[in-house]
Formats: sequence, C-alpha cells, structure tokens
Amino acid sequence: MLMDMDERAENEVFRALADPTRRALLSMLDEEAQSVSALTGRFEMSQPAISQHLKVLREAGLVSERKAGRNRIYALDPEPLRHAAEWLERHCDFWATRLDNLGRHLREKHGKDA
Amino acid sequence: MARTLRFEALYPYAPEQVWVALTDPEAIGEWLMPNNFEPRVGHCFTFRTKPAPGFDGIVQCEVLELDPPERLAYSWKGGGIDTIVRYVLAAEGGNTRLVMEQSGFTGLKGFMVSKILGGGWKRMIAERLPAAAARVEGGRYRSAHDDPLSHCHD
Repeated sequence: MLMDMDERAENEVFRALADPTRRALLSMLDEEAQSVSALTGRFEMSQPAISQHLKVLREAGLVSERKAGRNRIYALDPEPLRHAAEWLERHCDFWATRLDNLGRHLREKHGKDA
Repeated sequence: MARTLRFEALYPYAPEQVWVALTDPEAIGEWLMPNNFEPRVGHCFTFRTKPAPGFDGIVQCEVLELDPPERLAYSWKGGGIDTIVRYVLAAEGGNTRLVMEQSGFTGLKGFMVSKILGGGWKRMIAERLPAAAARVEGGRYRSAHDDPLSHCHD
C-alpha cells in the first residue's frame, strides 16, 4: 500500500519542483515542447538563467531534451510525477477501502439499523 | 500549502458505536489492520500488515488525542511517511459523520498531495494519468459501495 520511490530520486524531483520558475517552465512544456529561446521570451529572465533551470529539471528526470537543427527542444517527462501520483492514488484507495470496511464491520456487528 | 488528505463517511450508527469500532483493537483489526492499540494517550502501538517493496509492513503509532466519542488522533509512521491520522465523529440525526484526516506529508508526497488534490496541476496530471485523475479530479473519491460515500481531497 505504501510503496516508495527511491528516496534520493524523490528528493531531487522535489527540489526541482520547489522553485516557482521551474514549475512555470513545466506548465509551459506541458502545453508544448519548446526551445530555450521560446521559453525565455515568456520570462523576464536571461537565457542562461532559464537554461540553468532546465538543467535542474533535466537532472530530476522531469524534462527531456532533443536536438532539432541548431535548436534544442525541451519536453515534459511526467514519469517521476506519475510515480508520485500513483503512490498517492494507492494511498487514497487504501483509506477509502478501509473506511468501507469500517461500514461493513458496523453492519455486521449492529445490523442494518442502528 | 495544505498537505492533508481528508476522507468523509456517513455511517447509520450512533457515534458511541463508531467510537468502539475505532478504539477496540479487535474491531480495528477487522476493518483496518492487526494492531496492539490501547485507548490511552501516550500509548505506543503498531499496525502490522504484509510487507511490500519499500515498506516493511509495520506502521509505528502513538495515541495523541482521545476524547470519546468525538476525537481520536495517533501518529502514523512507516513506508516513508511520518504523519498524523485524526478521526472526528459528529452525530447527524441517528447517524455519525466521520471525518478522517491524514496530515503532515512532506517532500514530494506533500507536494503531490497539495498540488494534485488542490487541482493545481490538474491538466498536466490528468491527461497523462487517466486512472488516478478519475479518482482525484475535483478532489473527490467515490467508493465502490453505495455507502459510505468517501471523499479524498485536501
């Protein structure tokens, strides 16, 4: 029920997500894969600063990079988020099932009418 | 940032009856997990279940709050989480509304709890995670049974 992803990987993902600019970058890459210059145009920030944020996201496995001619195109890789979301789903299922069990337990003990 | 999972259920029994189910070790063992709970603030106890990868099957707990038949809280540590589980019971007609909250998620899990269940990143997650999103979208969880209706949101 409570399986964990590798703790180090998890910390890296969390660190990457902790910054609002990086979260904004992920949201933009969720709309479409883009080059660093297209992304930079949407921030009041230098291209090297955006590149540095993309590097952190890449190292956390949240963003992938491919070459297209002279450009590098960045895309969202939701795998680490999927992992955490699946953990969360299992966890919610765990409690929902247990609370159903509680209802069944009460029914068996006290009958249908209280 | 809210980092609390919240579940709600309505049971057609009096709070005193639900309270027994929440505080009698044998009853708890039937609906939750085998345990050595005692209704005493400060009592340390464990839940034991089948181990899974990353989880040795043991949840370490301590009773933090005990106010029959209304409030019960214990710590809940295991499988990489260190949280608090709290039950609040309220009479509603002849029924009991049970609100169960699990709070204190930190790190990535805390982030996921607040962002996903808070709806912040619904699209990013929803389009790529149909199964999970169906459950958490709108912050609601509908149980497979007709009753009780459980909600899972922050």
